[in-house]
Amino acid sequence: MQKTSEDDTKHPTFRGVRMRSWGKWVSEIREPRKKSRIWLETYPTAEMAARAHDVGALAIKGCSAYLNFPELAKELPLPASMSPKEIQAATSRAAASTRIINSSFNTEMLSCQWTGGIEAIVARLELPSRLSWFLGRFLALYSMAKDPVRVLVTGAAGQIGYALVPMIARGVMLGPDQPVILHMLDIEPAAEALTGVRMELVDAAFPLLRDVVVTTDVTVACKGVNIAVMVGGFPRKEGMERKDVMSKNVSIYKAQASALEKQAAPDCKVLVVANPANTNALILKEFAPSIPEKNITCLTRLDHNRALGQLSERLKIHVSEVKNVIIWGNHSSTQYPDVNHATVTPANGEEKPVRSVVADDNWLNTEFITMVQQRGAAIIKARKLSSALSAASAACDHIRDWVVGTPKGTWVSMGVYSDGSYGIQPGVIYSYPVTCDKGQWSIVQGLKIDDFSRQKMDATAKELVEEKTLAYSCLN
Amino acid sequence: MAKDPVRVLVTGAAGQIGYALVPMIARGVMLGPDQPVILHMLDIEPAAEALTGVRMELVDAAFPLLRDVVATTDVTVACKGVNIAVMVGGFPRKEGMERKDVMSKNVSIYKAQASALEKQAAPDCKVLVVANPANTNALILKEFAPSIPEKNITCLTRLDHNRALGQLSERLKIHVSEVKNVIIWGNHSSTQYPDVNHATVTPANGEEKPVRSVVADDNWLNTEFITRVQQRGAAIIKARKLSSALSAASAACDHIRDWVVGTPKGTWVSMGVYSDGSYGIQPGVIYSYPVTCDKGQWSIVQGLKIDDFSRQKMDATAKELVEEKTLAYSCLN
Repeated sequence: MQKTSEDDTKHPTFRGVRMRSWGKWVSEIREPRKKSRIWLETYPTAEMAARAHDVGALAIKGCSAYLNFPELAKELPLPASMSPKEIQAATSRAAASTRIINSSFNTEMLSCQWTGGIEAIVARLELPSRLSWFLGRFLALYSMAKDPVRVLVTGAAGQIGYALVPMIARGVMLGPDQPVILHMLDIEPAAEALTGVRMELVDAAFPLLRDVVVTTDVTVACKGVNIAVMVGGFPRKEGMERKDVMSKNVSIYKAQASALEKQAAPDCKVLVVANPANTNALILKEFAPSIPEKNITCLTRLDHNRALGQLSERLKIHVSEVKNVIIWGNHSSTQYPDVNHATVTPANGEEKPVRSVVADDNWLNTEFITMVQQRGAAIIKARKLSSALSAASAACDHIRDWVVGTPKGTWVSMGVYSDGSYGIQPGVIYSYPVTCDKGQWSIVQGLKIDDFSRQKMDATAKELVEEKTLAYSCLN
Repeated sequence: MAKDPVRVLVTGAAGQIGYALVPMIARGVMLGPDQPVILHMLDIEPAAEALTGVRMELVDAAFPLLRDVVATTDVTVACKGVNIAVMVGGFPRKEGMERKDVMSKNVSIYKAQASALEKQAAPDCKVLVVANPANTNALILKEFAPSIPEKNITCLTRLDHNRALGQLSERLKIHVSEVKNVIIWGNHSSTQYPDVNHATVTPANGEEKPVRSVVADDNWLNTEFITRVQQRGAAIIKARKLSSALSAASAACDHIRDWVVGTPKGTWVSMGVYSDGSYGIQPGVIYSYPVTCDKGQWSIVQGLKIDDFSRQKMDATAKELVEEKTLAYSCLN
């Protein structure tokens, strides 16, 4: 729950309305007979916040409630009783007539969803049960009224897309209360398959999925998108040289950069999955100069999750007990999975360094690294197809942590535009350890780097510089 | 994370539907975001390496809720201790195969799996049969696992139910969450009867209205709408060149979740369940009915008025189920 900051300003006339220092209006009601406040929501105007206050006040105090808009109380009908049905009717109508926008309160709500949903948030407030029930329904209905977020998936008719879109539609990427609109793009030969995916999305009757836009037109696909997951790219075929693959992908990402820059919503967050992911992301960044460079990332969360998985299998513990591995560098076979700062925290034990728990530096410095680096190939060998399920899942994790924030004390790996941190030359997309807060990632600074790590970090950086050179040569 | 994990079996787990289904289960779509799960994945020997690949990907996804994965080609191991069984594996119809041949293959499979489930599964194991012919496979399973309560053996018609909701939402240009209470009666086949006579539309701040009056096109509801839902599977195959996996997996999650967690107040869903004679359908087949769920049990919604048009369609699909039952039993001899 947020605390009032000194920068808040009480509204001169509306009760229960404060202006945050960044200009949004937040609505609050007082708990009965207490000094503490219950935050309800944040709105772009004071009037909206004032109406929200009225609904809360009516439910708590009934006839004796002070209302900002008493003349509108008929629209917010006085619940005839505190029965759930009556209150539900009241909140439904209020929710439908008030627009909600995302706020940092929602972000906290979202992060709470992962541990138990709205009921958990409400339970934490320890309100009297009648009020808890009301607040829970109120919040649930309000969150159904959240504006949908537009998520683009390119290459959506392919394997990863097919695994990814139901995850997005179920709220795995953005939370169980965040409605989404899916934009799915693929190339003309895949148009019918893409239509088939759209049909299945309709057939699944997903509550959170507000709409589906399927198209082979990149301009239409990019229009208004808040999040873009670029899965589409030119796969390497037998007999193709590295330069050929690079050349094809450079063209694709140059074109898509242009469309994204023109059409996407401001502050659109971009995740490049298609390989060569880091360099595709770099090309996208170079040709979409008005997209902030911090908004263009590539996926190394799959490697990060694979590293956690390998450690959990080795130690025969649950994967949730390991954290803070790092994937440095390129999403390729030169990536460096680093456990020097990773820890194991058993259920009610203390946090210990992975190196001491594993007690096998040789394995950690050799086999572990190659296992993670080559896991993609191992999956292909077993499935006869490349990873889709785990790649899609990692893409959801990447976006979710970016948007909702990383848990305290935990970092994740993301391919981001290098700013020179850890002696990596700026101007490449390099995978770093990052924490995320309020929709922004920050590189974890100050980690000690030993010689072994230094050498591996530099090797993967060198490969990225070579890829960059190759990519640029394809442009000329 | 202090809840005991629930063991969920998926048969045919190396296939398309399995691949879509297992990440949904592992993310809590089936049983809720606080319920740890242990996945049991079964497939046949030729798919063993692919199954291993799926297991590897599940490890690679680092799912917080996934406590363990058992991947096996041994049905006894697969069924051990399972609380929920989703039977996706079956013998698909191949070109040139007669209906009797498909039925024969599947009857053998479901007879064998019934035996293993009955011996190995946890008490009160809930079973959902997906593989076609779903209703009859479920019936065979029931007949050969007599110690599994008949109320615990169901088949999937939630996909058809969700498809019906989807078609109505597209027709009315509303969100699918605003439509409810369609019914899928009967067999998960082309004789299924998608019935909107009790379905309603409830817009965001409006009142609940019958679908028939909002659609205002009885002809469409009695003809095209019905055939669209009945034939949607074929339409998906035509577009994708593969059968539905994403939507089938999603419907399987919805079926189990509503069964375990309960249906929302005022809402029912469709499930293929062992007929007790309700609505004049002869007992002894697995027939899709409208049900509500509470405390882990389903109950058929009683007392709905059935008009002549519906009566005729409900009887036609029941007739097909009786024929399938006869065919299945003949394969056993």
